Amino acid sequence: MLKQDLIAKNPLRILSQDAKGKEISQRMGLVMSRAGLGKTAILVQLALDSILNGKKIVHVSIDQSLDKTRVWYDDIFKDIVGAEHLENAAAVAAEIMQHRMIMTFKVSAFNRPRLEERLNDLVQQDIFRPECLIIDGFDFTKASREDLADLRELMEVMDLNIWFSAVSHREDERVSANGIPAPCHEVDDLFDTVMVIQPPAEKQNCNTLNVVKDTTGAVEVGTSLNIDPSSLVVQG
Amino acid sequence: MTKDLSNVRNIGISAHIDSGKTTLTERILFYTDRIHSIHEVRGKDGVGATMDSMELEKERGITIQSAATYCTWDDHKINIIDTPGHVDFTIEVERALRVLDGAVLILCSVGGVQSQSITVNRQMDRYKVPRIAFINKCDRTGANPERVAGQLRDKLNQNAVMMQVPIGLEGNMLGVVDLVTMRALYYEGDNGEIIREDEIPAELQDECDAKREEMLDAASMFSDELMEAVLEGTPTPEMIIEAVRKGTIDLEMTPVFVGSAYKNKGVQAMLNAVVSYLPTPTEVENIALDLDKDEEEFAVSYDSDDKLVSLAFKLEEGRYGQLTYVRIYQGTMCKGDTIVNSRDGRKVKIGRLVRMHSNEMEDIDEACAGDIVALFGIDCASGDTFTSPDISVSMSSMHVPAPVISLSIKPVDNKTQVSMAKALNRFTKEDPTFRTYVDHETNESIICGMGELHLEVYIERMKREYNAEVEVGAPQVAYRETISQRSEFNYTHKKQTGGSGQFGRVAGYMEPIEEENYEFVDNIVGGSIPREFISSCDKGFQKGMAKGALAGAQVNGVRCVINDGAYHAVDSSDVAFQLASLGAFKEGYMKAKPMIMEPIMKVAVEGPTEFQGGIMGSINQRRGMIIGTTEEGNYTVVEAEVPLSEMFGYSTVLRSLTQGKAEFTMEFATYRPVPKGVSEEIIKKVKEDKEKK
Repeated sequence: MLKQDLIAKNPLRILSQDAKGKEISQRMGLVMSRAGLGKTAILVQLALDSILNGKKIVHVSIDQSLDKTRVWYDDIFKDIVGAEHLENAAAVAAEIMQHRMIMTFKVSAFNRPRLEERLNDLVQQDIFRPECLIIDGFDFTKASREDLADLRELMEVMDLNIWFSAVSHREDERVSANGIPAPCHEVDDLFDTVMVIQPPAEKQNCNTLNVVKDTTGAVEVGTSLNIDPSSLVVQG
Repeated sequence: MTKDLSNVRNIGISAHIDSGKTTLTERILFYTDRIHSIHEVRGKDGVGATMDSMELEKERGITIQSAATYCTWDDHKINIIDTPGHVDFTIEVERALRVLDGAVLILCSVGGVQSQSITVNRQMDRYKVPRIAFINKCDRTGANPERVAGQLRDKLNQNAVMMQVPIGLEGNMLGVVDLVTMRALYYEGDNGEIIREDEIPAELQDECDAKREEMLDAASMFSDELMEAVLEGTPTPEMIIEAVRKGTIDLEMTPVFVGSAYKNKGVQAMLNAVVSYLPTPTEVENIALDLDKDEEEFAVSYDSDDKLVSLAFKLEEGRYGQLTYVRIYQGTMCKGDTIVNSRDGRKVKIGRLVRMHSNEMEDIDEACAGDIVALFGIDCASGDTFTSPDISVSMSSMHVPAPVISLSIKPVDNKTQVSMAKALNRFTKEDPTFRTYVDHETNESIICGMGELHLEVYIERMKREYNAEVEVGAPQVAYRETISQRSEFNYTHKKQTGGSGQFGRVAGYMEPIEEENYEFVDNIVGGSIPREFISSCDKGFQKGMAKGALAGAQVNGVRCVINDGAYHAVDSSDVAFQLASLGAFKEGYMKAKPMIMEPIMKVAVEGPTEFQGGIMGSINQRRGMIIGTTEEGNYTVVEAEVPLSEMFGYSTVLRSLTQGKAEFTMEFATYRPVPKGVSEEIIKKVKEDKEKK
């Protein structure tokens, strides 16, 4: 297998281009689910799609260690490659490392000015210019609308794709008009794409990734993809 | 001599540089009556701490070698192995970890878990060493043991459980509250030797109750009996200790103690913890290899009546010759016994057997399983196994990393030549990661090791201990070469210069392999190369592997397969086929897209967040690949992978960049291909060097 096959094989590829086949350069995206259904795994797959397409990403882990985040990438990459033999596997792995940078923050220390300062450190010294930002572990219950609007502005200023993850709770049944569950139901207008991971319905045995909102023209609302229950890799 | 091992503890004290390890050891020796006065590491009395036995260490205020020392506490015999605190001396740390059964991880209550502690912790995980933590320096401004315990959980993945609550912090630290007995302990007297037990101060009662609750929750995971007792509200100290001990030995829990060695607070309680929670020699499984049964693994018996199995883990040049530290795993070692070095089968007689108390020693007649003692006048290398003469056993071989850096050294005069050779001979025996050889092309002596500082320390030691002043060349990185694709070769070696000529033809292919460095495959059918010359071909290829055609570096990761050839009834010989194979190797090598590989170091730079941008810039300039950053309060750790060749002099750069507020550690990670531009430079430089000669 070649790297090209690996890119084509990723079902999340569809999310990166609009209806006309043009790469989407700015977007706020959100992956939601209850705890433990595999949000981080989906974010890592979104990141790997960007990386394999030659883009640079910064993965912001809030309250999770650098090593753990690294292991996520290693494991997901292994699972995507699967049993097939990938030519130049070592070179592709090195490329992933070169195109990815992990930043970890404590939940209390994470905000736009801080993140922007860190990113500017990288950009101004010409060390790393990210095109995609993964923000895993952002606490939507404590953040205000302004905090998020601030990050959306950062997306515009720096020309970024930003993907968030958010935890929803079974007992909290509030939803927005678009069907976006709490705690994001009041800020759903700030997101261009929202996907929700659902536990298996009857007669099914795997979780599904469902598009509940998209204004970029990449996918249709209602699109549903299966997630492999053991590896958490999205199936084509 | 007691043979009951339940009162023996072999422990290591492991920590970040400057977290007060040596001071703590000094206090332990004082309280256990091994020494009668206390000297500080950088003491004004000029005597220095007892454990820092080398002059150089005293001067630099750091501990380089792990001296073993013995003491008794509460009817228990404790052997302490002091371990060095710098990554460049990794092999010393690892060798010490191998022979000890448990460890005390010392952390600074201000600095907390620093990059060095992470490395040491990783090594302890590798050798499955149960540990307790001691948060030292609680008397310092900014002390925050609670935060450090949190870091133990977050950064080191330890199930850290506070076993004590400090009474006062910084300048007001008076003692600790023991959460097992719920009593306050005050350390009084000039040297804290008087312990006064009292009620818990009223203002700490709530905190202590809460902490005890947490501790009981954690401990009851390891004992159903305790869990029931906790529910009924009747846990006894014995039950708690039993449960915490089990959790600690199973590596599931790290009990945390607090204190200040410098101010003499909490050291005795920590010694009690060593006795209570760290394992006895029999509670840890140690594996030996039976050389008679094809290296079959077996667990050592710890029985003093069994056959002797012991491991020499450290050598030291004493005043009266070589001192060899050994750990006895089973059997008994007596003065006058004959024992066998299982590496070379040599028999040696034990002339003197001593127990070490840092610089002083005590002659003993016998030592039994579980003990750590020293032998006199025995010639051996570090890592050798000594056994009874009638068995053939080796302790499993240790993981020894290959050196990544080398330096040329030249004695200043002829007299120095002799002492330099003596010193090098000694160092290579002591430290398997330190190697030395003579470069035949330049006639220079080359020393190799794990880092700049590693080699610097040996050069210093040469000067001090052997009076050998040497001129030092610029450090060289140990490059390697490899091939990236399969290629064919078909080479004929022919020479006719009167008399009998030389003839041999070797054909086949070479291809990259990942698992091994070199593999030779003989696929010759029909005798196109006669059997007796097959091994000559192997030798020829190995000669080719020793020196790559690009930079003259060692070649790795090649499989050579021969499948055809030709010979001559008269002119073919061993030499002819060696030369033919060497020629074939060279021919195939250049077609196989050879490349140069360089050592890549895993670097962690830790400093105030305000300098993060600068630190990342400095790594980027060094062809470094930044893996990520971790922010913790006002501190940030930048982790990166950087080629070793770019790291020379980095400490100076970092110091000036961050006003001396950042520090870094590095550890060998892997070999990776050199980028094209750099590769060309290396080849050019090698060529120039050759021409100069």
